[in-house]
Amino acid sequence: MAVIRTEKICKVYNPDTIPVHALKDVSIQVEKGEFTSLVGPSGSGKTTLLNMLGALDMPSSGKSFIGDVEVTRLSDRERIRFRLHNIGFVFQHYNLIPVFTARENVSFIMMLQGVGQRELLERADELLESVGLGDRKDARPHELSGGQQQRVAVARALASKPRFILADEPTANLDTKAAMNLLDIMEKMNEEQEVTFIFSTHDQRVIKRARRVVTLVDGAVHSDETTAVDSAVKDNQ
Amino acid sequence: MKTLFKLAWRSLWRNKRRTLITISALIFAVVASVFMQSINRGSHEMIVDNMTRFQTGYLQIQDYRFENEPSLDNSFYFDPELEEKLIQQDDRITFVLPRIETFMLAADEQTTRGGVVFGVELEREHQFNGLKDRLVDGRFFDDSERGVVLSQGFSDRLGLNVSDTIALIGQGRFGMSASGLFEVVGIMEHPLPDMNSRTIYMPLETARELLSADGKVTSLLIGMDSDRHTDAVAANIGDFLEGSELRVLTWTELIPELLELLEFDLVGAYLMSYILYIVIAFGFFGTILTMTLERIKEFGILISVGMARLKLAFTLFLEVFIIGLLGVIAGVGFAWLLLYYFYLNPIELTGELAETVIEMGWAPVLPMSFAPDQFYSQAIIVFLIAIFIAIYPMYRVIRLDVISASRT
Repeated sequence: MAVIRTEKICKVYNPDTIPVHALKDVSIQVEKGEFTSLVGPSGSGKTTLLNMLGALDMPSSGKSFIGDVEVTRLSDRERIRFRLHNIGFVFQHYNLIPVFTARENVSFIMMLQGVGQRELLERADELLESVGLGDRKDARPHELSGGQQQRVAVARALASKPRFILADEPTANLDTKAAMNLLDIMEKMNEEQEVTFIFSTHDQRVIKRARRVVTLVDGAVHSDETTAVDSAVKDNQ
Repeated sequence: MKTLFKLAWRSLWRNKRRTLITISALIFAVVASVFMQSINRGSHEMIVDNMTRFQTGYLQIQDYRFENEPSLDNSFYFDPELEEKLIQQDDRITFVLPRIETFMLAADEQTTRGGVVFGVELEREHQFNGLKDRLVDGRFFDDSERGVVLSQGFSDRLGLNVSDTIALIGQGRFGMSASGLFEVVGIMEHPLPDMNSRTIYMPLETARELLSADGKVTSLLIGMDSDRHTDAVAANIGDFLEGSELRVLTWTELIPELLELLEFDLVGAYLMSYILYIVIAFGFFGTILTMTLERIKEFGILISVGMARLKLAFTLFLEVFIIGLLGVIAGVGFAWLLLYYFYLNPIELTGELAETVIEMGWAPVLPMSFAPDQFYSQAIIVFLIAIFIAIYPMYRVIRLDVISASRT
């Protein structure tokens, strides 16, 4: 079964005044273990689609499924709870909780899920180790570099054991070294743990590493290509 | 809960300066409102205190007919046995003060004036209201002496001085003629302007003899450890007097017109308090509004990753609760210190205002109340204002559009 599936979703802003068609009959399906990039020029609908996939926004028409649940039928409260247990988010600006340490940021999601104190701390430590921040777990976000903060964000996204992770321009604010490091970590998780990643990005460094690239133009799917990643690409970057 | 509290606490101290300014504003609010209350209540307490000490007492026992017909015919028998029984009714009763009170004509060689005669036990009276300290000339009488002490205004009106003789003419119990000549042994300044112009003090036994009221009193004033216990002690005494011809009255029942006057006088003070509360509310709202608006994106992210809106709203409530609690506790502390200082070192009045106050028989100082309830009542009001303001960030979070929030 697909991890996520949309059926002809449309999103129209200002339908009663000057309608703006942000998405037009978008139907895509993402399988478990995919490493997918949503690409396209500014205003093509990438972020809008990402919001739909993340159950943050509701389409004007069409349906969206995560697993076998039709999220477009869920109430706001149900969607928040659904997101907590099924979707991980990585944001462009990291958006960690500034007053919490790296460890607390990662464990916070599990606390919301009701995971026991001991288990959540152990898992937070494991996740921080896995993103290479085992020695920085007591640092607060302002004490970390951008790349480190984004790695904490990835650990946080993984903390809830989600069905997939949505990453909105995750490398946009990172230098090449930090971006490559982050991509390595995500790719490793994808390959070893079959974590499904969906990126919205302009970044060629991400696009080149993606195994599937969905291109949006003017709110519609323009192309959907599956590529084999050449290991030489990674080495050359 | 622990994590939410941690989130709220640390969020507060993320911007230390703003939090400290907000707490300072709340401290100022509590101090200002307590101070204002204290000034208003201070003067009222002084008036009530003088009225009760020199006139009615906080609690008074009378014959049930006396209020409507304040005559010596409605006096009652008082002896040590009754006194002992009364004191046994409540641990908070400290003493019983017998008085006999009647209206008589007073005359010197040329003038006649109406006056109020108080027959008192001097030592007990002094213990209750510091009567001896009010003496401005001469001395106070001995317990069974045929001497009187006049209030200063009354002696001025009659043109009498110490060692002069005053004639008192009136009616004793059951129509008996009551008249006699008495030596003016002293002149005192009565703290109540009205009473200062018409009061005559004499020994209780002398008054009884003059008025043919052997063993009788017209009222018993009940002394207590604190006037705050008036109603509770009144209830106990009321139970004891049930079925007798005596009844107990509180000062508010004895002089309801004073209570009404004080309440009317408080209207302006209440208005000022409401204005202060509105200023406090807007000031606090301004801070909370800023705090909320600059964190809209953060709230959006928290909801995006799965934090329930109610949980987030509760966290914000906790923030306001903590800041409110810190502010009012510190405010009460500062207010207590400030009032304690002014309680020990009252603000002295000067100029015409001081002269007016002195003429009224009061000390030329701004009396401040140190009543404990004004501290917690004002603290609770300010705290409730803060909690009310917490509705705003909670409402914003409940209604937040996460997509718009993430774009801020």
